[in-house]
Amino acid sequence: MSIKHTLAPVALALGLAFAAAPAHAGKTLDAVKARGSVTCGVNTSAPGFSAADSQGRWTGLDVDFCRAVAAAVLGDASKVKFVPLNSQQRFSALQAGEIDVLSRNSTWTLTRDASLGVVFTGINYFDGQGFMVPKKLNVTDAKKFNNATVCVQAGTTSEKNVADWFGANNLKYKTVVFDTAEAIQSAFFSGRCQVYTTDMSDLAGARTKAPKPEDWVILPNVISKEPLGPSVRRGDDEWFQIVRWTHFAMLDAEENGLSQANVDAQKANSKDPTVQRLLGVSEDTGKLLGLDKEWAYRIVKQVGNYGESFERNLGPKTPLNLPRGVNNLWNKGGLMYSPPVR
Amino acid sequence: MSNLAPPTGDAAWRARERARRRREWWTQGTLALLLVALGVGLALNVTANLEARQIRSGFGFLADRAGFDIGETLIRYSAADDYLRAFAVGMLNTLRVALGGIVMATVIGVTVGLMRLSRHPLVAFLGTAHVEVYRNIPLIIQLLAIYLIITEMLPDASNAVSLGGAGLLSKSGLQIAVPAHGWAAAVAGLAAGAVAAVAARRALLARLTTLGASAAALAVGAGVALLAWVAVGLATGWSVPHLEGFSVEGGAALTPEFLALWLGLSLFTSASIAEIVRAGAQAVPRGQWDAAMALGLTRGQSISTVIFPQALRLAIPPLASQYMNLTKNSSLAVIIGYPDLVSIGNTSINQNGQALEVILIIMGVYLTLNLAISVLMNAVNARVTRAPQ
Repeated sequence: MSIKHTLAPVALALGLAFAAAPAHAGKTLDAVKARGSVTCGVNTSAPGFSAADSQGRWTGLDVDFCRAVAAAVLGDASKVKFVPLNSQQRFSALQAGEIDVLSRNSTWTLTRDASLGVVFTGINYFDGQGFMVPKKLNVTDAKKFNNATVCVQAGTTSEKNVADWFGANNLKYKTVVFDTAEAIQSAFFSGRCQVYTTDMSDLAGARTKAPKPEDWVILPNVISKEPLGPSVRRGDDEWFQIVRWTHFAMLDAEENGLSQANVDAQKANSKDPTVQRLLGVSEDTGKLLGLDKEWAYRIVKQVGNYGESFERNLGPKTPLNLPRGVNNLWNKGGLMYSPPVR
Repeated sequence: MSNLAPPTGDAAWRARERARRRREWWTQGTLALLLVALGVGLALNVTANLEARQIRSGFGFLADRAGFDIGETLIRYSAADDYLRAFAVGMLNTLRVALGGIVMATVIGVTVGLMRLSRHPLVAFLGTAHVEVYRNIPLIIQLLAIYLIITEMLPDASNAVSLGGAGLLSKSGLQIAVPAHGWAAAVAGLAAGAVAAVAARRALLARLTTLGASAAALAVGAGVALLAWVAVGLATGWSVPHLEGFSVEGGAALTPEFLALWLGLSLFTSASIAEIVRAGAQAVPRGQWDAAMALGLTRGQSISTVIFPQALRLAIPPLASQYMNLTKNSSLAVIIGYPDLVSIGNTSINQNGQALEVILIIMGVYLTLNLAISVLMNAVNARVTRAPQ
């Protein structure tokens, strides 16, 4: 974690004091084009969502989303500058203009949407908060946690949910609050807390980093709704639309059977009007967003559809081994639904 | 002499002085006005920017329900309380570790400083080693190391090490037995200790130096306070720590986070304090040592009655800045999960997004704490540097 990002709230404060004028609509797209890269705020370390591998290459569902935005706007999915942020820095970094998009498994809530100066563009993962415990405790139900010590990350919805849930169930507990996921995980795996609580997907990711993953169990209790999604600064509707429709294009591509492998063939041969429209063969949907005709084609070609990104980062073939579940498409029993791209 | 003659002597000087004051009043007044205008301009700009970015502003949020829990609190607090109370909890936690740290760092620092003055090579070497180790490793690394040792090495709460029935040591921290009526015992202990200390100082003044009497009185007071505290416990019963559910209940707890921070801050600052003590002693002119020896005092007597009282005068101003440093360094709490003011502030910023207001509160609190230390230490300084009566 660099000093620069630790000081994001201070930078924001100074920025607010000395900035000459607030951002104007349309400014972000121009800035991104002039800079030649999308600056994307991601999680410091959340396997499956955003984590740097041994070569320093970022991977994950949220990382793919940043690449998709770059593919749509700049024509090249590799033109992304990733800024790893912890949970307290993320919204300040976005407010202060340090990043263009925040794609950091953040929960969409009313308070955040209405009072932080940021606005969520959609939901790219439906999650819920759960608990992980050491197997040796032999606990199968979270309602047996009397007097437990709970590790939780500062500045998350988890911190409030856990207070609500333990209060509602009349259980006594103590929290230990850390500001980074790494600090929590090292404290939890060393035995400082009996319980680690955060989103289910995060728990699955954290478990892959344990010295012995089989020694830890994730309990079936889900205590909250955690719709995770990207967000952008308020007041730039043009940029908001681009980011929102990037996600929809990934869903729409999956729904229409377009994948990284077949998108070129489909573009050349498909007679399906929906496919033709999405890939920019017939109509130019990009113009309405301030982009070019092939914006969605490039997303699919360079990054893939939503399902591909999910399988690559979170699915059964990965160490996280998460089922698609509610994150499947609406016509396959899930909640993922895209308005028509037309 | 004619009234029309130009003013000379005192009159001329007074006229020049009046003109000079007028000029100064104007320049300083203009400067003050400019500063106020700058402040108002900044405040207006902030408000305008916040509004333009549609970020909620103002201190109204302090009355909102905080909604998060805090692991250790000195006052009653629950998630249903407001942000103001959450900040108070954080501030008290900062104060608790800062005060504890200042006391411990001073005790260790003075001891090590005197060790370095010793002519016994092993003692002097140990003192030097202490200073070099704790002064040369960054505080943040020391804190992480101490925290790691506590959480990795100690057993789980279910296999806690028993300290002869009086306490339990485990990954949940150090729990010690305390009188069941904790507050009554603390008040009784403090009162008895204070009375004993005053009485002891009065009795000892005749036999010892002022400094010696004060130090001895402090020790007597602390001893009596402890005895009184234990006596209340024996009379009214003890709250003994025991395993309940997943963790230890009862008694008073020092969490691993508090222990690590307290220890880390104390050791780190003690190295600088030791150097201040040594520098103070060495700055006392050589002639003072010779004079003490000429009077037939032993080396120990020379240090305690001649050198140390003079060294103290030189040591107080730099000591004050070490105390302030320690207080500010306590904000590193956030990396080991101790819920100090900054940690609570971080959480609040993210729950309500009001970074500017929260940072102003944090700055205000640290400024106030350090100004208080400054005022206090200046008073002490004024007392030790005044001429002997």
